[in-house]
Amino acid sequence: MDLISSPVRALGRGAMSSVSALGRAGYLGGDALQALRKVGMWAPHLLGQMSRIGVDSVPIALFIAMFTGIVLALQASYTFTGAVPLYFVGTLVGKTMVLELGPVLTGLALSGRVGANIAAELGTMRVTEQIDALETLAYDPVAYLVVPKVLAGILMFPVIVILSNGIGIIAGWATSMALLDMSSQEFVKGLRLFFLPFDVWYSIIKSASFGLTVTAVGCAFGFHTRGGAEGVGRAATGAVVAASMIILVLDAFWAAVLL
Amino acid sequence: MVGVHKAFDANEVLRGFSISIPEGQTTSIIGGSGSGKSVALKHIVGLLRPDEGEVWVDGENVGRLDQESLYVLRRKVGYVFQFSALFDSMTVEENVGMGLQRMREFSAAEIHDRAEECLRMVDLVGYGSRFPSELSGGQRKRAGLARAIATQPKYILYDEPTTGLDPVTTSVIDELIIRMSEELEVTGVVITHDMKSAFRVSDRIAMLYEGRIRFEGTPEEVRDADDLVVKGFIEGRPELMESVP
Repeated sequence: MDLISSPVRALGRGAMSSVSALGRAGYLGGDALQALRKVGMWAPHLLGQMSRIGVDSVPIALFIAMFTGIVLALQASYTFTGAVPLYFVGTLVGKTMVLELGPVLTGLALSGRVGANIAAELGTMRVTEQIDALETLAYDPVAYLVVPKVLAGILMFPVIVILSNGIGIIAGWATSMALLDMSSQEFVKGLRLFFLPFDVWYSIIKSASFGLTVTAVGCAFGFHTRGGAEGVGRAATGAVVAASMIILVLDAFWAAVLL
Repeated sequence: MVGVHKAFDANEVLRGFSISIPEGQTTSIIGGSGSGKSVALKHIVGLLRPDEGEVWVDGENVGRLDQESLYVLRRKVGYVFQFSALFDSMTVEENVGMGLQRMREFSAAEIHDRAEECLRMVDLVGYGSRFPSELSGGQRKRAGLARAIATQPKYILYDEPTTGLDPVTTSVIDELIIRMSEELEVTGVVITHDMKSAFRVSDRIAMLYEGRIRFEGTPEEVRDADDLVVKGFIEGRPELMESVP
């Protein structure tokens, strides 16, 4: 009997803990919306968070975008040779970077860099009672800690993604010049062929939603950390896994809704 | 605190906890590890809300206050955490000035002067520019105390102020608690299981056992108590405590 009941119990416990975590995250979201009114408490920290979350993430995002652009150009040429005019390499690099790989790869990479960092920082503050200390000093920890991070994520992810898109396309162009025997005019012709200004807006909307996801999930996991150093580790890992999964779901959602 | 019950999942920590803290005095709440002393203390500033019962501070029912009223109440209370809970990304002076900054009534120069004054009171002159990681355990406790007194609170809550400290540092912290009470005339609540310290700093001592107050009195009354649980605890004799049905 135990053979059957134990896994069922474990499943039940897992489901209950997931629902309760969702509930806690919901409460935190509600508190964060209310805390938006306390401008004096979050505004002084917004620029600092924009720098930490945004500016400091630029190098890794551009590194990923550069190699993505190179690989896209090489794979497109490998696929198209003999069947499709080579200037379509420009089309594929541009469209794929802006619509998909720029936002998604940046989002996934930053869920590791930014999401884990936020979860570990807030988790450490939670287990060392620093968040309680903030409360006893009459600070609203949601306004002070959560709101500036989430706003910085929403504002800075689109900026990073636009830069990544640009670098990816430039890397694809340079690769086409250097390795594919294409002219610059051919690449640009392909790039402009199916370009729509809406593509850029699509990229911006998607990346803003990824910025919200990564920072909010990091805050939710960090804010509710329990159990010392091990708990902080669990919070950081949990934040990365959850944010990555939500990013992929959102990716499909935006494609279905906006395209 | 009147008839406070508090449970975490199946673990019932407080079971009808009631205590009255006299103004202008230092009251220590003693009890074994995990008996719920810190849980009781956190109810006073609304860090935890009771499942049942009421917590009254300055005529206000803490459990029913909205967030803004709770912040107003918290400005009257200084809280010294067990492990100091200093903000590790800030210097000691910034830590001490945090409460004043929140009040938005002081200029940067005034906050600096007040922080220095508080650091002087806890014998940490010259440590303002250091980070918490550069301080010893005792210095961290003193910095935590400086942060708690910076806003000139009416009440100071001390959560295990001497735990983990050597005897000399313990006696320095005890002296500071006595000084706070005498010089600043604050009402103090000390959570501790260090009996030497409790006898030294307290005007009254209450023992928390099995979720409620078992015994309450002056240090002399506690010392002379016939209650086997109290006797067993202060003399470090578990067999006496276990002999009680």
